[in-house]
Amino acid sequence: MQLKNTSAIYDCLPQALPGFENINRYWDHRHNIYAAKIVQGEYYVTTHNEIITTVLGSCVSACIRDWKIGVGGMNHFMLPADSRYKSDAWRDSPVDTAARYGNVAMERLINAILAHGGRRENLEVKVFGGGRLLNIAMDIGRDNIDFIKKYLRTENLEIRAEDLGGEYPRKLEYFPATGRARVKKLLKTHNDTIYRREQSYIETLKHIPVEGGVELFGK
Amino acid sequence: MEPGGADRKKIKILLVDDSASMREMVGFTLKSGGYEVSQATDGVEALAFARAHQVNLVITDINMPNMDGFSLIRELRKLPNYKYIPIRTLTTEDSADKKQQGQQAGATGWIVKPFDPEHLLQTVKRVL
Repeated sequence: MQLKNTSAIYDCLPQALPGFENINRYWDHRHNIYAAKIVQGEYYVTTHNEIITTVLGSCVSACIRDWKIGVGGMNHFMLPADSRYKSDAWRDSPVDTAARYGNVAMERLINAILAHGGRRENLEVKVFGGGRLLNIAMDIGRDNIDFIKKYLRTENLEIRAEDLGGEYPRKLEYFPATGRARVKKLLKTHNDTIYRREQSYIETLKHIPVEGGVELFGK
Repeated sequence: MEPGGADRKKIKILLVDDSASMREMVGFTLKSGGYEVSQATDGVEALAFARAHQVNLVITDINMPNMDGFSLIRELRKLPNYKYIPIRTLTTEDSADKKQQGQQAGATGWIVKPFDPEHLLQTVKRVL
């Protein structure tokens, strides 16, 4: 982005919804539309006509919108690897660490859409990612795919379109206003950056507590 | 309350969440702890259940269609049988503002998702 254009862009950049002010947004010259770019662990919901874009390796993204009002968004996450939780008594149960983490990633996205006028019965869902990157031994992508499919089945949310698995990363562009999603397979030459980013995300996930706070009121 | 499985079996918990997977996860955890769990998908359903049944604890989500967690808690507090029982929220919301709203509505505790199953059971055990 050229510096001299920055202020002009921010003059007309549609206001992000509360909670999404920190998401990287810019003017997309190719599509002539504002775009929000999310990275692993982030999600973004908009009521405006803008694109949401991300690059997926073994991570998955759910693109969800209320098709009647055009409010929607995208998340980008992977499940925490299980090595740290081997001693966890709840491992391999319906409430293991991975399931709890993934559940909240999905619920945050859906809640934000519902909070801005979306209705559960109008939700249109598309899912992408979960590739198997050759440099990574475990098939993390497969676990992410299995999770997101099970989650949507349990929630009774039908998958309208999907592009999952494969041995390549993807660039994803989603237009919540229309529901259109574009996927571009990325060439091997890009894999190195994506691979490094994923490795660092895997490391981060090992150290974040998969638990929110508990606060007791009064006595 | 005596410790031990026999008595804990009788302890009833009403679990309110619009997400089926969340009900499955929390329900599984509570049942593993030996509690009897009833489920509702929103505030309206929960309130109808509460008018007909007594429970010992309510665990409710906040963001739900038809009737949200705040309204549900306020309505439950109007019922004589639900005036003093513990009501815990279980939500992705963690702002001070929402917590205060919850407390004003009559919640006795605020749990932020993702929940830790072990800690959830501990906090439940502590109130009952």
